[in-house]
Amino acid sequence: MSEEIRQWIPNQDLLFLAKTPVVYHCHHYNLALDQTIEDALGFKRAAEVKRAAAREAATQLLTGFCEFVDAQNPSEILQASKQLMQAMGHGSLDILWDGEAGEAHGEYLHYSYSWKEKYGDRVKCKTPRDQFAAGWAAATAQMISGLPPCSVEAKELECYAMRQPRCRFELSKGEPEAPRPTIGIAESEDVLRSHFGGLYEDEIEKHAAVLKDFTAGVSGDERGLVEAFGVFVTMTPSVYYNRISYDSLMILQEEAPAFVPVLEALLREAGHVCVFNTFGGILASPEWESVAGSAPSSPEEIVWQSMSIARALGFGHWTVQEFERNKRLVMSTPVSYETPYYMTRHGETQEHRHYVFQGAAVALMQLAHRVDFLTNPVFDIPFYAQLFKNNKLKWKHEETRNPLAGDDRLEVVVTLDE
Amino acid sequence: MQVGLKQTVENVEFLKAVFITIMPDCLLYDAWSRHEQTWSAEDVASYFGDLIRANREALKALDAWSSKMQITIEAADSLLVLTEIEGDFVVGFVFDKTAPLGMVRLYIKRMLEGIRAILPEFAVEERSRSVRIIEFVQRYAPDPHTVMLRVSLQTRIPLEELEDASGLDEEQVEHLEEAVCNILGLDKLNI
Repeated sequence: MSEEIRQWIPNQDLLFLAKTPVVYHCHHYNLALDQTIEDALGFKRAAEVKRAAAREAATQLLTGFCEFVDAQNPSEILQASKQLMQAMGHGSLDILWDGEAGEAHGEYLHYSYSWKEKYGDRVKCKTPRDQFAAGWAAATAQMISGLPPCSVEAKELECYAMRQPRCRFELSKGEPEAPRPTIGIAESEDVLRSHFGGLYEDEIEKHAAVLKDFTAGVSGDERGLVEAFGVFVTMTPSVYYNRISYDSLMILQEEAPAFVPVLEALLREAGHVCVFNTFGGILASPEWESVAGSAPSSPEEIVWQSMSIARALGFGHWTVQEFERNKRLVMSTPVSYETPYYMTRHGETQEHRHYVFQGAAVALMQLAHRVDFLTNPVFDIPFYAQLFKNNKLKWKHEETRNPLAGDDRLEVVVTLDE
Repeated sequence: MQVGLKQTVENVEFLKAVFITIMPDCLLYDAWSRHEQTWSAEDVASYFGDLIRANREALKALDAWSSKMQITIEAADSLLVLTEIEGDFVVGFVFDKTAPLGMVRLYIKRMLEGIRAILPEFAVEERSRSVRIIEFVQRYAPDPHTVMLRVSLQTRIPLEELEDASGLDEEQVEHLEEAVCNILGLDKLNI
């Protein structure tokens, strides 16, 4: 992905692709979040929420991307859509659309493919997994015909995760969705907080710069997948993640408020599983050894090197304010990629809504104290289950500063839960 | 001196471990192993119980069920034999792979006589279905550390009520079963 189309907000480490906010995540996070939305809303309703979010995110991104590559006619838009989806690690999608209805066929789609890789030998998949691809196909079809944004419906009828040979989607014209406020560079800049540094700042920044260069060259392979650091990586519009998380939260708040804390715990767990597996996988990888010189050998190195990774993935300008082994971590950032979305769409709140950041902070303490990177750990299901099944070492978090409540930064303090 | 499991089995050649599982709850009753092991005896006992139960269902489906069934598994470096005792207990024997099968059968026959003698004579009290469903999903969910949160969110049953699942009403148990089938990708639970 060339640097011309990727833009960073300086000193904030928020990433944009064709002016759309994007973030890198791994399949562990993607699947955990996807599953959480279904747990909260049930399959049918969750699928609707996810498809609508994906369609909106893809519409914004594809519009910017087609402008960038000057794709104007239907075949150019189709080609641009397919190339972009593959480059972002979401797999391969072929779309047939006649202006009224159509079909799409997917191969190596990120969600179904990685679901089968992760869970396929243990759980039988009973429902289609590719709501993101469905939304993407709908956005592409609507752009080809010049239809109003978010006016094509897509539904996955066959899915690779359900042991079908490939994924198949049905497309049809529908009623346009009422537009929601756009989240772009300007809206993100509106909510920014002043830049600041923290402990190990020089090293963090230096390593983040190298990793940013590395990710600029990362693109999907011939399958349209990005397989790196022991995980499947995607670049995804953060609007998608944020919208499905916060829409689910709002629905649950309305219908079953007693279960909001349960949903919040699972949203944090998605952040936990992401940092533990992706950051852990990166820190344990030979590629990282070439960036850092060696695998991290102390809890301090694990923590500060993780800040570099977070910045390079577009999570925000993560900093370490305090770190004391076996006791305490204070992590802060001016804003995270969750902040601009929430502020723009939901406004100020005293509630603590930065679930990825909260889960990540706890996961970092787990990584720092429970993983020996010098023994070449493999970040797989048995390793995660072995560490967390009985939760031998528990950490608790507290969000002590909250930009959504008007504070000058986002800050989470993690301490031992004794 | 009262004879225990250790005295009953420790002199048997090729034998590596023994697990006794209480059925139908699949709980560990007793275990012995020749060397210190990293495995969790509770987990192994539960899986052995489930295995016997699944095998029973499969044999019934084939019209081939008999109360005297025995399961033999040839693993990479071990030979496992599971057998039921009077329906209330499952005994799992783990032998070294090099053990001759004929000898293994003979050893098991002798050991079972001794094990029967040390097992308590009481009517096993079956726990509620809801408790067994929760234990089952905790054993088999791909992400066991989050499974109770997932079950709670899907069923809208508070976590505190799930912790003492024996108090769930009929409708809640139905929701629980549905959620567990959903999480494990199963059509029904054979518990």
